[in-house]
Amino acid sequence: MTTIGILANPAAARDVRRLIARASSISIAERCAIVQRALTGLGAVGIDRVLMMFDRGGIVSGLERAIEHHRRDVPLRWPELEILEMPVTGEARDTLKAVQLMRRKDAKVIMVLGGDGTHRLVAHECGTIPLVCISTGTNNVFPEFQESTVAGIAAGAVAKGLVDRNEVCRQNKRLGIRVNGQPQIGALIDICITSDNWIGSRAVWRTENLRELYLTFAEPDAIGLSSIGGLLKPVGREAEEGLVIELGPCDTSRQKLEVPIAPGLIEPVGINGVRRLMMEEPGRIRSRSGTVALDGEREIEFAKNDTVEIVLERDGPLTVDVSKVMKKLATKGRLS
Amino acid sequence: MDLNRQKLLEAYEMMKTIREFEDRVHVEFATGEISGFVHLYAGEEASAAGVCLQLDDRDKIASTHRGHGHCIAKGVEVKGMMAEIYGKQIGTCRGKGGSMHIADLDKGMMGANGIVGGGPPLICGAGLAAKTLGTGGVAVAFVGDGGSNQGTTLESLNLATIWNLPCIFVVENNGYAETTPSKWSVSLSGNAVDRAAGFGMPGVVLDGHDFFAVYETAGEAVDRARNGGGPTLIECKLNRYYGHFEGDTQTYRGPDEVKKVREAKDCLALFSEKVTRDGTISGADLQEIDDRVMQLIEDSVVEAKAAPKPPAADLLTDVYVSY
Repeated sequence: MTTIGILANPAAARDVRRLIARASSISIAERCAIVQRALTGLGAVGIDRVLMMFDRGGIVSGLERAIEHHRRDVPLRWPELEILEMPVTGEARDTLKAVQLMRRKDAKVIMVLGGDGTHRLVAHECGTIPLVCISTGTNNVFPEFQESTVAGIAAGAVAKGLVDRNEVCRQNKRLGIRVNGQPQIGALIDICITSDNWIGSRAVWRTENLRELYLTFAEPDAIGLSSIGGLLKPVGREAEEGLVIELGPCDTSRQKLEVPIAPGLIEPVGINGVRRLMMEEPGRIRSRSGTVALDGEREIEFAKNDTVEIVLERDGPLTVDVSKVMKKLATKGRLS
Repeated sequence: MDLNRQKLLEAYEMMKTIREFEDRVHVEFATGEISGFVHLYAGEEASAAGVCLQLDDRDKIASTHRGHGHCIAKGVEVKGMMAEIYGKQIGTCRGKGGSMHIADLDKGMMGANGIVGGGPPLICGAGLAAKTLGTGGVAVAFVGDGGSNQGTTLESLNLATIWNLPCIFVVENNGYAETTPSKWSVSLSGNAVDRAAGFGMPGVVLDGHDFFAVYETAGEAVDRARNGGGPTLIECKLNRYYGHFEGDTQTYRGPDEVKKVREAKDCLALFSEKVTRDGTISGADLQEIDDRVMQLIEDSVVEAKAAPKPPAADLLTDVYVSY
């Protein structure tokens, strides 16, 4: 039996950025449809079982309804859907628990539907299980926009061994973080220190409050915090280094840069310095109080007595290059 | 976020006042001295406080049948409210409205409302007035997940959009429309926020137990509305600690459901823990507020019980308004 996990975040892409920056929303009904299309792709390559967690947002409820209401005269070539037995709190820890269970139940690949924040949580627990990343979030830098039918075929092909996973998977970097010596869930793209006192609505968009930015990679065509690095000193996803940028209010900073900080929002950012962040180089943040934003969401509040350390690491998650998989399948004629 | 020490203390006092008010009404209602129905807001305080602390005297709110928290957050006088619930002459509405009809137009509180989904059309009117008169005012309607299904609410979302009104619709989704889980009664798998897109309106969902999340999001919505940006829908996911109404046996809820929420998601506990962590506010500061609030509620009940009921001669006064 070949098993795939699907982790679909019902909460992604509905935060305050809808208000301040015309960011798009994806309804639960659409998320449910994305999963259904993925199931079609997975079924086409013979995946037997899909694991999902129950969610309070309604994605799984919608799936169950779709299964119940499907036309009896049209065969539903979907894998068996198994809902993980676990308490659901509606919190981020649900995602962590679900991925732990998927590992235990021998999922060969995990498909992730969410934004950078969702992928960050999945990456923390997935170990060496490859991820197929489908963007349904706001500032989507780590996952790409993928049609889930094709992504389902690719995920299934990797899980079934129709392609060599070493040829189609990328080893990603990540940023580790310790607060007062205690390891926290790291980041896949960026850690930003802001002068905000409170986590509040989580999103980061007030550029005058940005103080320090640590990046695993920075692409010039990115959206969100990593666009600052991308427009200053691009760093590739596979480069053996990252980037550190010192930031401040525009009126007191050495350089000003206009960046697309969120979808629909281009704002000036004050730059005071840029340097390479070397692999495994230990570093401690300079700011004395504020919040730490991980992959674009304020997650940790810290004060003057707290120490925050950040390090660039090689052992991020493996991600499947869907395009490469499909090319391999085409070349080998595996879908004919 | 513009949350200095004074504002944080104000937020705590507001939420604590709502909690103590509701806990006390829960106790007093059981004695049989209060007529009619009461629907308690305990557990949902961060929503009312987070939104209303972003409003000022220009702004109006319309509430629901579960309106005590909104009244307190918008500044309606607590003693008058308690007396109103007791049906006494010194009440906010002279004892004729009761729990579900507390209104204080001087405070911008357009009324609790026994009609489910009754508030949204009112704020379209208030929003249109503010826009026409150029006051800079904003109008906010609180509705529940059940109220979000009403035609009045959906028509109001449409009206607010086409007239680009300075209106904010706050859906307080506590998981149950009376006794029916919102997943069974609200389309889009129980997510009222997803309806916003259908009206071309931004929709935001947030943890309604988190004062800071509500406050910051509401601030952005208010700024947007004041500056001509138009309406917003905010869905606060939260929980109520008591039944739909006092006396509700709540057989539709899990045995430990409320206990778990109280332990993990209590908005006052979450708030207290955060603001005292770095020493900006001390436990003693909060205790001082607790004591003051407890005394206020005690005095409110004593005065309400001692006050006279409206005389029969007042039966028809204040019923109709002449323009």
